[in-house]
This record gives sequence, C-alpha cells and structure tokens, in this order.
Amino acid sequence: MKIEMELNGRAVTHEIDPGANLLSVLRGMGQFSVKLGCETGDCGSCTVLLDGEPVNSCVVAAARTHSHKVTTLEGLLGDPLMKELQQELVDKGAVQCGYCSPGILISLYAHFRAGNELTDHHLREALTGNLCRCTGYVKPLEAALTVAQNQQGGPDEQGGAS
Amino acid sequence: MWELKEYRFAATAQEAGALRRQGPGKGAYIAGGTDMYLQPVDCDFVVDINNAGLSDIARTPAGDLFLGAATTLHNIATNPLVADFAEGMLIQAASHCGNRPVRSTATVGGNLCHALPSADMAPVLLALDATCYIADEESQESVPLADFFVSPRVTVLDDRLLVGLALPAEAATRRCASYKLTRSAEDISLVQVVVALGVENGKIETARIALGAVAPVPMRAVLAEAQLVGQSVADISLDLVADAAAIAAGECEPRDDHRASAEYRRDMVRVLTRRQIMKALHDETTITKDSGGTVA
Ligand SMILES: Cc1cc2nc3c(=O)[nH]c(=O)nc-3n(C[C@H](O)[C@H](O)[C@H](O)COP(=O)(O)OP(=O)(O)OC[C@H]3O[C@@H](n4cnc5c(N)ncnc54)[C@H](O)[C@@H]3O)c2cc1C
Ligand code: FES
Ligand code: FES
Repeated sequence: MKIEMELNGRAVTHEIDPGANLLSVLRGMGQFSVKLGCETGDCGSCTVLLDGEPVNSCVVAAARTHSHKVTTLEGLLGDPLMKELQQELVDKGAVQCGYCSPGILISLYAHFRAGNELTDHHLREALTGNLCRCTGYVKPLEAALTVAQNQQGGPDEQGGAS
Repeated sequence: MWELKEYRFAATAQEAGALRRQGPGKGAYIAGGTDMYLQPVDCDFVVDINNAGLSDIARTPAGDLFLGAATTLHNIATNPLVADFAEGMLIQAASHCGNRPVRSTATVGGNLCHALPSADMAPVLLALDATCYIADEESQESVPLADFFVSPRVTVLDDRLLVGLALPAEAATRRCASYKLTRSAEDISLVQVVVALGVENGKIETARIALGAVAPVPMRAVLAEAQLVGQSVADISLDLVADAAAIAAGECEPRDDHRASAEYRRDMVRVLTRRQIMKALHDETTITKDSGGTVA
C-alpha cells in the first residue's frame, strides 16, 4: 500500500507492506538513527516522534502514519535544543557505544518540548522507555538535568524543586 | 514480519464495524498496536480505529466519566478530568503501564480487549464499576465490565467494537488505594489489588476489591467486599480487615508461571488487600497506626 506522511517536515510518499512496523519502514527510508534493538517495545532504541509524541516505532504500524507527522533524529539535527542535548550527553560521558543515544535524545527532546516539568523525577520518568547497557543512566540523567538548568536560566532549583 | 493483506482506516465507529465485516477474509481492529505487534493476530486485514472519534475523555453534567476506547494511556495519565475522579486512581493505573513511549499509543480499549489476566487497566475500572459500550452497525449494548471478560484473551465482543467506558458519578468520591506488585517497575503485574470504598455517614456503603493477574480474568473479590459493607469507618477492627483480606485470597485462582508461584500470588493478595483497605480508610479510621507494614 502507499502512504503519505510528513517525515521531518517534508511530505513523502512511500510504498509499504500493510503489516510493516514503522521501524523497518523508516530504516528503509534511510533514517538510520532509528535502531533495532528488542523489537518488543522495551528498549527504546527505535524511539521517534509521532505527531510530537515519543513512540517505540517497532510497535507502531507504519500504515497509521499516513497523513501524520513523523520526526526522527535526522530531522532535528539543526534544532538548538537537540544540539544542546547532544553536546551535554557527550560532555557528561553519557555516550559509550551510542546505540541507545538517538532514542534517549528523542525521549528527552519530546519531554522538554512538551513543556513538562524538568525535575529529576520527571526526567527519570521521561527516560523510562530507554535502556542503556553501557552508561548506567546516571550520566544521561546528569546531562538532562544540566540542560534543564540551562533552560530554566540558572543552577538553582534542581532536583525536585519545581 | 506481520503478514497483512490490507490496512484499513475507519473514520467513525460505524464505519469500523462495516469495514471489519465486509471481508474478504478475517479482519481485526487495531488501536495502538502495542499488543498486536508483540503477538500478531492471525487475520487478513486490520481496521485502524485511532481516528474514528473514539479518543474523547469527558465528564457528563451528571458527573459520570466517559473514556473513549481509543484514548491513549498517556492521555488518561495526564488528563485533569481523570485526576479529579476517585482520588486519581485511573492516573495511577495508566501511568504504571509499560513505559512512556508505549503509553503514547497504547489505548485503554486495547488493554481490555486483549483480555489478559494481567491487563493493568482492568482492576481499577472494575473497582469503579465501569460499563462497556459495545456497538455493531445495528445495535448498541452496554455491559458491566465485570461481565466483559470470558476467559484469557476472550471477551463478550466477538467482532463488535468497544466504543468506550463510562464510570458512574457515584464512584468519583470513593476512597481508593491500589498496588501493582511487579518484579521490576516496567514488568507486567504479578498481582494487582485495587480497593474502592464508598463511605457515607461514617459507614462503608459500597466496597469494591478488584484483583488482577490472579485468576483467568480480572476479577472482583465479592465475598471479601461483603465483609466490609456496613462497617463503621471509625471503629472497624483490624481483625475484620484481615479476615476480608484472607477471604479475598481464598476467592482468587492464581496459577504458577515463570514470574511467580500460585502460592506466592495468593499470599500477596492477602497482604496487599489488607494494606489497601487500610490505606483507603486512612484518614478516618482509628486503627491505621499500623500503616499496613507490620501486622501479617
Ligand atoms: C513494552 C511494553 C510494555 C507493556 N506494559 C504493560 C503493562 O505494564 N501493563 C499492561 O496491562 N499492558 C502492558 N503492555 C501491553 C499493551 O501496551 C497494553 O495492553 C495496551 O493498552 C494495548 O492497547 P493497544 O491500543 O496498543 O492495543 P492493540 O494492540 O491495538 O489491540 C489489542 C487487542 O485489542 C483489540 N482491540 C483494540 N481496541 C479495540 C476496540 N476498541 N474494540 C474491540 N477490539 C479492540 C485488537 O483487535 C487486539 O486484539 C505493554 C506493552 C509493551 C509493548
Ligand atoms: S527496538 Fe523498539 S523498543 Fe526496542
Ligand atoms: S551507550 Fe551503549 S547502550 Fe547506551
């Protein structure tokens, strides 16, 4: 079947198998930031945005993105918030093998963009869908908290204050 | 890969039913797909109900809460109308299902229609007396959720569509407490217990004890509930609460699996039911000095 979606701000038409998951279709379209990990919705390495909401693309039907907006990390490379998140992951040593990084970045980006609270608790919640086998979560969380501080314009009121 | 011949989109509930029954071959509804992509259903085509107008959350003038079947768990977990109902119990249940990205697409209808014993939205909805609205082209039927589940993975639906759920205004003021026992924060339930008590003039007028993952289908412990009705909140005895919890443990029918033994599950029903009754009564009863942790 043929679907038309808005991928990273551009209208695209694509021929897909009706049962295909979004993960396989996006990789077929060259979106290699979308990683195949578990394919059971657990690891988050395939996280993308569907109409701005984070989803695990391995458990989303590609067909349902017809007439909807899909955003992958490739589409956010020029975005100032995304750049800041990326840089902070690097600076904090929150990237080792890097397999989980695109998913972590998308989850954090969605959380920040939605205007959610940026406390330690809420940022942990935002990362519940992302497994990282290398860094052990402390560093990604530190990176997220640093960006949160910068966004809120100062180093105060961290760790659950707001 | 999931071999499907066709993926259809329904714009209304009526159209969904028509598209499903029109053939050729076997059809199934799909909402979030988070269950279906894990366990592909044997069918020729699916009918997508995500844009069929089934995603509303509303409070009627009388105070009933309506949840469209295709409402996502994330929308339930973040909706202020839901937060105001029954001490936010539905929010607690929805936000403990899976992980953040799964909740963006997973729907409450999918959770119930998949009909696993461990469906995490079922106990809270049972405890708040949810009614299921079911439709096909000709008729609408409403069925209490307590009569919706038939056996694991089987409901009363057949090829009909679950349109939504209504929770009566009267349940909005129940005192509630719930607990989802899991191996890890994101795992499915080993045991889930939800207690909802309607209290009037210091007396328990209605009692609901709903259990998940401890019987072929999500269930209510009706004998244990009966034990609580009519009791005065201020001087209900600890023994009576413990008795009710033991009765609930007798009512469930857990089984062994790789997550836990039946014996452990049954004992956890006893312990957790006792604690949730105490927690639900917390503000008013005089026996809550024991917060539930010490008396076995
Ligand atoms: C990583 C992960 C973690 C999870 N964790 C949990 C958890 O903690 N607790 C839990 O309970 N579940 C969990 N689940 C399971 C699943 O996400 C939920 O059951 C979810 O609510 C299913 O909804 P859905 O919309 O995705 O269903 P779908 O997969 O779209 O559908 C499920 C079934 O219901 C049918 N159906 C859907 N909507 C309707 C309708 N309106 N009328 C008739 N039939 C319908 C479909 O035909 C299908 O048979 C998890 C899943 C994943 C991938
Ligand atoms: S590959 Fe999708 S969540 Fe792991
Ligand atoms: S850096 Fe290797 S999995 Fe996260």
